[in-house]
Amino acid sequence: MPDDLTFLMGKFPAVLPGGLRYARNHMWARPEDGKLRFGFTSYAVRLMQDVYFLDWQVNAGDRVEMLQQVGHIETSKAVSDLFAPCAGAIVAFNQALLDDPSGVNVDGYGSGWLFDMDSPGDGLLSAQEYHQFLDENWEKTQRMIKGKINTED
Amino acid sequence: MSRQRLTVVLSQGQGKDPRKRSLEESIAAALLMEPGLDVSIVPYLYDLDADHTGRLFLESVPGDMLVLGWMYPRAAFWLLDRCDIKGHYGENLITPKAEVDDDDEEQEEPAPPKGVGAVNVPDRWIYCLDLRDHADYTVYVQEVRRVAAECVERRETQLKSWIQGNPTMVQLGRYMREEEPVVATPQFTSEQLMQAPQRRWYPVIDYSRCTNCMECLDFCLFGVYGVDKTDRILVEDQDNCKKGCPACSRVCPEQAIIFPDYKTPAIAGAPVGNIGALKIDLTKLFGGGDAMTMAARERDRELVADGREAVGLTVGIPKRQVDKHQEPKDDLDKLMDALDDLDI
Repeated sequence: MPDDLTFLMGKFPAVLPGGLRYARNHMWARPEDGKLRFGFTSYAVRLMQDVYFLDWQVNAGDRVEMLQQVGHIETSKAVSDLFAPCAGAIVAFNQALLDDPSGVNVDGYGSGWLFDMDSPGDGLLSAQEYHQFLDENWEKTQRMIKGKINTED
Repeated sequence: MSRQRLTVVLSQGQGKDPRKRSLEESIAAALLMEPGLDVSIVPYLYDLDADHTGRLFLESVPGDMLVLGWMYPRAAFWLLDRCDIKGHYGENLITPKAEVDDDDEEQEEPAPPKGVGAVNVPDRWIYCLDLRDHADYTVYVQEVRRVAAECVERRETQLKSWIQGNPTMVQLGRYMREEEPVVATPQFTSEQLMQAPQRRWYPVIDYSRCTNCMECLDFCLFGVYGVDKTDRILVEDQDNCKKGCPACSRVCPEQAIIFPDYKTPAIAGAPVGNIGALKIDLTKLFGGGDAMTMAARERDRELVADGREAVGLTVGIPKRQVDKHQEPKDDLDKLMDALDDLDI
């Protein structure tokens, strides 16, 4: 199994387990009983900080397209719509998070998983590739978050 | 029912959530005892079609009205406006205002909206309370009392100024009568009022924000929007709207299009400038793209589902820059600085 990688967000080390695959929308994926289990990477959690509210707007069993909106999250520092990391069917949501979404903060790579998908996982990255993706976009991300640029792309 | 009394309407939540029902019942039970109020219960406001008894009842209310419902006050108010149930917007004290951080004292009031406004607004006030704001029914009961008192005071002030201004007999008569005769106010049984409606999905326009720019009309390819005789935008054929699709709301440059049932607060009618005013919006980072891209993606999905061709960003996309949202910059800066302090 490949080694874990660490991406430095300023001083904060975001750990990227080597055995996982990654989506560009900052979710990790792990094969689980023939399905793909998804959750937020520590990079995403660091940007959001404490999760207050998590809401899904598709039902378990629904087919989704890549980057179709599936939910919404509110945290102590951020709000965001949430999108499908790849095409497939979302077969189950983590019920425990619906009662207490702070599980995302407690154990983001484990019990704080988000949903299981029936999907080939097309387009997912390795830890190495995700690290490189973060590295290439870190400057732009910081600028975007700081609101310095509004009309890029 | 009378012009002198406050009509309180409780609009039930969809479904059978026992927590919702319990809150509704507690509020209704407490308010039935209150003097000076007429209390009625109707199904979920958004689902009432033009023929529903609950809607006919709402249309028949002559005076000040307070609506308790499971949606943002802005959504409920403009939903009523769409049903031709109009009035002045009554501010309530329950809905949280823009959150102000302790270290952020200089937060400015959002600029007043520059919309075209509602038309034919009668001289009465409509208050809308969001039942999602609190789990404690007493909060709502207190607020209803406060609103009732405010309405009485407003009427009395109005009356005094008329008396000083030598009122006509008609005006005096209208205000001095104990109880107005119930003229043309149909009586509805609670069974009639509570007929279960079908779920519906359509946009609601907030005319206090809408500038009549017609971008929604250009963007929507399903014929939902139209204009009236005075060239004013309106939701002309709401049943053409595609369930779950909020694309036109994203395209609106003034955040004037509300889908009360959508999950994203900004689209569901949250107070503008409140949600996200001090929070970073990570939507773009998490795969959303900009609003226009998302809207085009959502529209394409519906076009394809209808057996039509996807059009992407080639049709009905405004030329303006998607750069209207410069105001929160400073807040974001402060926020990121705070994050920086945390060694990010």
